[in-house]
Amino acid sequence: MDNERREIEVMANLRDSNDMQAEVNRAHFRKNNCLAINILGSPGAGKTSLLEKTLPLFNENMSVAVIEGDIFTSKDADRISVHDVPVIQINTGGSCHLDSKMVAKVLPEFDCQSLDLMIIENVGNLVCPADFDLGEAFKVIVLSIVEGDDKPAKYPVIFRKAKAVLLNKMDLEGLTDVNMERMKQDIRVINPDIKIFEISCRTGKGLQDWTNWLQDKVLAFQS
Amino acid sequence: MIDHTLSQHDVKRVLKVKIKVGELTNAEPDALAMAFEAYSKDTLCEGAELIVERVPLLGCCRDCHYEFNVKMMYFLCPNCKSANIEVVQGEELLLESLEVE
Repeated sequence: MDNERREIEVMANLRDSNDMQAEVNRAHFRKNNCLAINILGSPGAGKTSLLEKTLPLFNENMSVAVIEGDIFTSKDADRISVHDVPVIQINTGGSCHLDSKMVAKVLPEFDCQSLDLMIIENVGNLVCPADFDLGEAFKVIVLSIVEGDDKPAKYPVIFRKAKAVLLNKMDLEGLTDVNMERMKQDIRVINPDIKIFEISCRTGKGLQDWTNWLQDKVLAFQS
Repeated sequence: MIDHTLSQHDVKRVLKVKIKVGELTNAEPDALAMAFEAYSKDTLCEGAELIVERVPLLGCCRDCHYEFNVKMMYFLCPNCKSANIEVVQGEELLLESLEVE
C-alpha cells in the first residue's frame, strides 16, 4: 500500500503566508484609523520625489509616516527624513519587492495610533510588487511619461490592481514622442476605475490635486 | 506548504507537483520550474515534475452578466461594451495536488 502511487489533493493558495500577514497588517492599520498606501513604479519614475513634494502640501493636522523599501541603500529614507516625518528604511537585501512580513517587522517602531496616513514606497519595479499584498488600503503607481506610452500594456497586472496612477515628468512632454492619449486609453482599458493624474514633481503641476484627492481618501477611511 | 502536507501523509517520494497559475499574476512558469528545482534539492520533492497549469483570465460583465475570456488585458465586455468587468478567474496561484508514492 505504501508504495502505491496516489494523488493528494491540496488546493492551497501559494500566497497564503504573505496574504495572511497582509490581513494582520490591514487590521492593524484599520484599528489605528491609519490609511496605508503602497506606492509602486519603475526605478527613476519619481516615487521618492513625489513624496518629497507631497509631504509639505498636506494639511498641518495630517500626521504622516513613511516606510521606504530599497534593495541596499538608505538614500531614499535620508531624503525623506529632512521633512520631519517618521521614516523607516527596509532593505530587502536583494529582493525585488517588499512583502507583508517585512512591513510587519517595522510597524511596532511607529506610533500608528497618532498617524493618519502611512505611505509605503516599494522597491522600484513594475512586476513583482504587484503580486505581494502588504496590507495597504490601495496601490498607487508612479509612471513617468518618458518611460514610454507602451508601459501600461506591457505591465498590465500592476495597472489592473492600482487605484490611481500618477503620470510624472509632464514638464518633458514636448521633448519626447510619448502619445499621452494612447497611454491614458491603454490604462483605462486595463482599469476603467483608475484615477489618472498628470503631474510634474519638478514644476509642481498637478501635485495639489493629487494631495487633495489623497487627503479625501484619508478622511473617507476615518469616517 | 508541501512540507506541511507531506507531514500529514506517509510518503516516500513526490513524483509530481501540480500548481495553477492565473494569467493575471506575474508568476512565470519557467522561473517557477527553476526555483522548484533549486528548492526541492535534498527534499522528498527532489526530481519531482512540476506541472504548471495556466488559468485563463475570465471576466464577467457587471452590467449584462456576460462571461468572457479577457484577451490582451482588454477589459471591455464584447456583448454590451461596458468596461465594468469583474475578474472571476485568473488571479490564482494554487498548489493543486501532489502525486506521491
